[in-house]
Amino acid sequence: MVTLQKEVEGIREERNNVAKKMKGKLEPSERERLVEEGKNLKESLVTLEEDLMKLQDELQHVARSIPNMTHPDVPVGGEDSSAIRNEVGSPREFSFPIKDHLQLGKDLDLMDFDSAAEVSGSKFFYLKNEAVLLEMALLNWTLSEVMKKGFTPLTTPEIVRSSIVEKCGFQPRGDNTQVYSIDGTDQCLIGTAEIPVGGIHMDSILLESALPLKYIAFSHCFRTEAGAAGAAAKGLYRVHQFSKAEMFVLCRPEDSESFHNELIQIEEDLFTSLGLHFKTLDMATADLGAPAYRKFDIEAWMPGLGRFGEISSASNCTDYQSRRLGIRFRPSEPLQTGSKKGKANLPSTKFVHTLNATACAVPRMMVCLLENYQQEDGSVVVPETLRPFMGGIEVIKPKLR
Amino acid sequence: MVLHTLRLATVPLTFTTSRLFLKPSPTLSFFSRHVQPRKPSFLLRAFSNSSAVQDTPLTQTSSDSSAARPPQWKAAIDFKWIRDNKEAVEINIENRNSNADLEAVLELYENMVTLQKEVEGIREERNNVAKKMKGKLEPSERERLVEEGKNLKESLVTLEENLVKLQDELQHVARSIPNMTHPDVPVGGEDSSAIRKEVGSPREFSFPIKDHLQLGKDLDLIDFDSAAEVSGSKFFYLKNEAVLLEMALLNWTLSEVMKKGFTPLTTPEIVRSSIVEKCGFQPRGDNTQVYSIDGTDQCLIGTAEIPVGGIHMDSILLESSLPLKYIAFSHCFRTEAGAAGAATKGLYRVHQFSKAEMFVLCRPEDSESFHNELIQIEEDLFTSLGLHFKTLDMATADLGAPAYRKFDVEAWMPGLGRFGEISSASNCTDYQSRRLGIRFRPSEPLQTGPKKGKANLPPTKFVHTLNATACAVPRMMVCLLENYQQEDGSVVIPEPLRPFMGGIEAIKPKLR
Repeated sequence: MVTLQKEVEGIREERNNVAKKMKGKLEPSERERLVEEGKNLKESLVTLEEDLMKLQDELQHVARSIPNMTHPDVPVGGEDSSAIRNEVGSPREFSFPIKDHLQLGKDLDLMDFDSAAEVSGSKFFYLKNEAVLLEMALLNWTLSEVMKKGFTPLTTPEIVRSSIVEKCGFQPRGDNTQVYSIDGTDQCLIGTAEIPVGGIHMDSILLESALPLKYIAFSHCFRTEAGAAGAAAKGLYRVHQFSKAEMFVLCRPEDSESFHNELIQIEEDLFTSLGLHFKTLDMATADLGAPAYRKFDIEAWMPGLGRFGEISSASNCTDYQSRRLGIRFRPSEPLQTGSKKGKANLPSTKFVHTLNATACAVPRMMVCLLENYQQEDGSVVVPETLRPFMGGIEVIKPKLR
Repeated sequence: MVLHTLRLATVPLTFTTSRLFLKPSPTLSFFSRHVQPRKPSFLLRAFSNSSAVQDTPLTQTSSDSSAARPPQWKAAIDFKWIRDNKEAVEINIENRNSNADLEAVLELYENMVTLQKEVEGIREERNNVAKKMKGKLEPSERERLVEEGKNLKESLVTLEENLVKLQDELQHVARSIPNMTHPDVPVGGEDSSAIRKEVGSPREFSFPIKDHLQLGKDLDLIDFDSAAEVSGSKFFYLKNEAVLLEMALLNWTLSEVMKKGFTPLTTPEIVRSSIVEKCGFQPRGDNTQVYSIDGTDQCLIGTAEIPVGGIHMDSILLESSLPLKYIAFSHCFRTEAGAAGAATKGLYRVHQFSKAEMFVLCRPEDSESFHNELIQIEEDLFTSLGLHFKTLDMATADLGAPAYRKFDVEAWMPGLGRFGEISSASNCTDYQSRRLGIRFRPSEPLQTGPKKGKANLPPTKFVHTLNATACAVPRMMVCLLENYQQEDGSVVIPEPLRPFMGGIEAIKPKLR
């Protein structure tokens, strides 16, 4: 493409020269010759320009799948190579046979998967009674805690143009896509608020003084879960629709690493406050998504399922998303008394870095809370931090029938 | 059971100094247990009939689109009753400007009844032939009977095919017959609706006022511009205090309505299109309000009425479990195809919004009083928020096909300079339950008697269903922002909502 570009520029220059010559006084035959030459050049140019465009398009197409570079500390390898950054708490010891969240949900009349299977299909559910209050408490409390750290609350559209989905690094229309598309439009349902939040500042030049921008965004999320089969599909663990609070940061490149640490710290503080036992993993290279320079996942202990399950993910996407979304910033000018300022004196723009991190994915949190806080009498204790957000309820009790 | 009033969600804000946390005050939490039969079914009607806030006319169930293929499901329509009351049914159809074709229905019904008798006659003959063949017969006699049997079988097959076709056609045409109408409902169009109640009066402003869009911009609460790029028109982001306000509205509504014995629910927002059809929407018609999912038979819901109605479809409930009262929270998605003009500005008409919907299943004799209860709850909620509104008894041409009676509440929106619908409460009697197959078995009267067998169980009846908007967030936001704006550009928060917003008393302009 670079070669072709030079060729195109060469021909344009020749054409300009011809045009210049034609401005002067010329013999008729000379003029005729130049006109002919101009025509030929023009035809070549049109063809070459078309070819150039095709090349550029193809280049885009192929280059987009080059993943982001990787932080040097990230372990190389597959799932088993991920490193444990932090571990909090320990598995609770139960003195009685425990139930999984599905059983607790049935016994306490908190969820209904059966009716939802008729109405909507598998992996859909209704929440009932205290579970509704628990969802609202989780979201309200999360909002409250994260706002204290200077994040701006947002709610977002859940239908977006498919181009936005692509720019964030997802594949709306591939096989086994996670993305639901709307019939008859170029729109899709979001799988995470990362997508519409990323879109807020697309094709923009921000002032350096406006950075960092820190959002806590609430939305429902929709995922096809195509290709996800097997045991990790039970109950609330893997569903097509759920509520989530997502943190999203836009910052200067030099700050993204420290914001990544800040985000994971916020998550760890939230989950510690809820009394969960969890470990934070530094995900290995084969487990990073294409946009992530580095990714920390938190897996919490789910006693009813008998294993750890992912409850959050925090990624530093550096400039991968911003190059696609077109989000730049103009560095502040250094203090200098100088000559008149013109556009030529403005520092050139740079791409921001973006980060995203789950503050609260409701169904997975519910799995943790129900399974960890169950009591022998079949009730579930509500963690203290959530009680003020649930009208003071301390325990979800079995109901008299 | 100890009573806990739920006071939820006090959220401390970085930009206020007050700490908001609702101290738990023990009152009653209601988690009434109901015996829940398993299969969901619900008959949802066109949006304007339900709590959906919408001005566009209801789309009636029409038979055209599916006339070519047999219906996926059958509405349990009482044809005999229609035939015996045809004058009243015809008048009702006219009053509602419905395009239902009663003549066609009656004719098809008579033909079907006739054909049915014929089919039964032939079956009986065939049985007789079969009986005769069991005895000892002459070979020639046997041959004759075998021949007769064959002929009868052929006729039967043809007639039965015709009968099925007739029944399908009857279904198609009959489904569009609207529900009957409460005798007190005014007859006529929009202008005939009667005012049942009026609360408050328009606030007098001593300064030039802004509409909610301007307030949203000035107070950095709403972003339509970015949403237009990301998603398209009629989408928006809420920011800052507006997010807290949405949460406060929903939390407070939940708290208030639960006190009245409603069971909280959250619902799927993707449902099978057959459910949407049973609800009376046309998922795939022109100008449909319904978004469909590519490559599946699924759609997005426009109101929680749809998935809630579905919970009990094809079920027989115990009379003792009625009434069932739900308060359901969901996001709602509407294409708003065909909605053009002035009534589309800002938050007034959007593609996606949060809503709390009340849904009741009850015995027929109780639906009228539940309708009154639902509208009373709505009026109490809006009065508590200090709104000026009027409750309308919607006239016959403005009822959706399922609604026997419909009360709409329109609130004063000073920035828009007019009243706008903020809620709708419909009594659908048995229209929906006949399509969703929701029945109940009356409790047996106390009697000492001979042994009880299935033959002694009272026959099932159809429940009545009702639905009512408890809170449609964007329209409520229009009301609150426009009515509570102050001269200095701030917006005061109504007192009942403050504890649910961390004590914030006003949304103030921010220093930039």
